[in-house]
Order: sequence, then C-alpha cells, then structure tokens
Amino acid sequence: MRSQVYEWSNLAPGGAGATLRRGIADLAVPVPANQATDIFIGGIGNNISTPAETTATQFIVIEDIACSPWISGAVQVRINTTDYFQNPDVTQMPGVRGFASPYPRGSPSGFAATGNPTTYNPDNLLKSFDLYPDVYVLPGQVFQILYTTPTGTAAGANAECVSCFVKYTLYDGPDALIANKLLELGVTINPNNVDWYKRSLIEQQTRSAVAATAAAAGGQA
Amino acid sequence: MRSQIYAWNGNGFGNPVAAFAPANGGVQISVFIGGFGNNITMPAETTATEFVVIEDIACTPSIGTTAGSATAMTADAEQLAGWLQNAGEPPVAGARGYVQVRINTTDYFLNPDNVTNDGVPGQASPYPRSLGYQPSFNLYPDVYVLPGQVWDVRYTSYQGANQFGGAGAATGADQNVFCKYTLYDGPDALIANKLLEMGISINPGNVDWYKRSLLSAQ
Repeated sequence: MRSQVYEWSNLAPGGAGATLRRGIADLAVPVPANQATDIFIGGIGNNISTPAETTATQFIVIEDIACSPWISGAVQVRINTTDYFQNPDVTQMPGVRGFASPYPRGSPSGFAATGNPTTYNPDNLLKSFDLYPDVYVLPGQVFQILYTTPTGTAAGANAECVSCFVKYTLYDGPDALIANKLLELGVTINPNNVDWYKRSLIEQQTRSAVAATAAAAGGQA
Repeated sequence: MRSQIYAWNGNGFGNPVAAFAPANGGVQISVFIGGFGNNITMPAETTATEFVVIEDIACTPSIGTTAGSATAMTADAEQLAGWLQNAGEPPVAGARGYVQVRINTTDYFLNPDNVTNDGVPGQASPYPRSLGYQPSFNLYPDVYVLPGQVWDVRYTSYQGANQFGGAGAATGADQNVFCKYTLYDGPDALIANKLLEMGISINPGNVDWYKRSLLSAQ
C-alpha cells in the first residue's frame, strides 16, 4: 500500500490545452465557467494518459480532496458515472468548495486579478471539510475528480492559476485482496486495519501449526 | 533508533557544491548527491544492520497568481514575499517545487495511470510550515527502506527563469527540501525486520513494545 497524491493546475505550455509533463514555460489555460473539468483527462492543464481506473488487483481509498478557494472553485468525485456529492434533493452539485477544503491549506480566500504584484486577501483559510468516511474505488472502477468554477478564469494576462489536490492510498496485490475482505466485513479500510488483518492471518496460521504439532505429538504417544 | 532529518537548500546554506540556478528548472535532482546546494559524500543507503523509515517529506511552497510584470511579491504573500512574478512565465509565486522518494530505482509516487510523477507538491507539504502554508499531505503509511537498499529524495522546481527566487537572488537560496526519518540500527533494525514480517507498523512505540514482549517472555 502506498500513499499517493495528484495535483492539477490549469497550466500548460503556451497557455493552451493539456500536457503530460509540467514545464517551466507553462502558462494559465482558460477554464470555462460552469463546466466540470476532469483533472485527469479533461484536456486542460496537466493531465495523465488514460482515465484513472483501478485494475483487478488494485483498490483505492480517496482520503482528501481540495482546490483553490478563489473564483468559487469546487471539486467533485465521480465513480464510474455517479457523483459522490449531491444536494439534499438528490440533484447535482459542483462538490466541495475551495472555501471548505482550501488548497494550499492556509491560503488566502482570493486575490486581486489585476495589478502587480498580486494582492492577496488578508486571511488564511483552514479546512471546514474532512473527507470522512473515505471514498472507496473498488477494483475495475473508473474515477474522476472534477473541478468546476461558476465564473471561469479571466482571459489573457489576468488569467488565474487554479489548482486541485487529491490524496489517496493505493492498495495493490495482496493488500487489495485484504481491502476487499475488510469491505465485506464492514471494517473501515485504512493501513492500520489492513495490517491488523495480516496479523490476524499470521496468528491463525501459528495457532494451526501449534495445534497440528500437538496433535502429531499426541498421536505418537 | 534515532530520529533524523535532512535539510537541503539550493544555495547549500551559503556553501553550495553549486548553486541551484534557473538553468536547473524542470530538472529532477537528488538532494543528497545531485551536485547542487548542500550534498553528502555518497548515495544514501542502508547497511545490512540498518532500517530507515521515512516519515515526512516537504519542500518550498508556492501559490497561484495571475500573469504579471517583473514585480516582487509583497508581505501579503507571507513567506513568499520577495519572490518574483513575471509576464510570460508560470503564474505561480514560489518554487513550484515537487519532492519524490526513490527506493533503488523505483519512484514512490505515481499518477493514477501508474506513470511516475514529480512527487508531493510543496503546496501540499510545505517547508517551512507557516500560518499561510500548512500541509494537506501526511506521509502515511510511512516509507520503509530495507537493509541494503539505496534511497533518494529528489526535487524538481518548475519555476520560470526570471522568477526562480527572491528579487535579485536566483541562487537557489529560497529553495528548500526537508526529509524526516527514523534510523533503526543494530538490534532495533532486526526488530524492525521482525515487525515487518508480522505486518506491524514500524515505529519507536512498536519496537519498544516488541522489546518488552521479549523481556517478559524471558
């Protein structure tokens, strides 16, 4: 199992399209208003080569999501075709606002889009939101992290840089099997519980070996 | 067992092997033997009687801006005050730095498509931490470096050449990396290996617990 992070920003060479590799010549790519942008393969900023999905031997637990608080950005998790965050009337919503889960943590709530240098609001936002319980991505599922802003970014030289952040733990191989087993048992999937399950298996094997030895010794007597 | 840290500065705290200069932007370097900033004499590796647990990694933070002209960030950018903002370069103040852990030849942090990425952003794990720059990331579970393995902490800054540091100081002095780890040696390393076999997290508390359980068994 491994702790993993993914950071997205609307930065790409020349300020257009997407890139698989960050570069020192990256500029802000315009983000459209009211349109959910997939931070993995959305075609804006740094992207990856394929949709984010788990193989048959992987299990992902998403533990934190956050985004830039300015321009009212929000971040949503989608598993296959289902959005995780919904309104109370079960209609769609953009997700967790950057105000509630700011990235970077402690960042100002906004800044003046014009003028040099950038003037930040005199505040330091802390998180109001904690992704608990965690979000599970089961083997074979596709997941997306979607960024939405109601205003879009400004055009030209005043284009804002916005970012999203996701922290997750990847369980692969035998750890993924154990994660599935814990899910069946209704036990929360985290590194501690996976280790606990491993220990209980080892203890069970030890007890069986001791019992078998004792039984063999008894038979000889 | 001993709590250890390694702090790297792009200007080697005033005594660099070579300054981490704008020409190194976009290039991933080792903070141990990369040839920039302060370095050590040989690659970081564990002997047969050592076990290392890496507990935290962090680097200089950054924060989003807009494009601008060659201007220094003011005090409202807190610890990034003085970093330059410039037109035609990434609209980000700060190092735009990332830190990756490599064990032997394997990078620890991957994208969801299983391709190696740059690692943990300084925005998510800032060093130093301050009111305005707090961690979103916690290295848990820890990273284990088993006996005989070579390990590395690697840093990349994607900042543009004209905003590679504070005003008039593109010497790497503003770029920092931090690594916190615990070194288990001698019998503690043997116990760490035993805990690993047992599927128990390796930390000072559990090593002490195992020692106590051995003593009580005697």
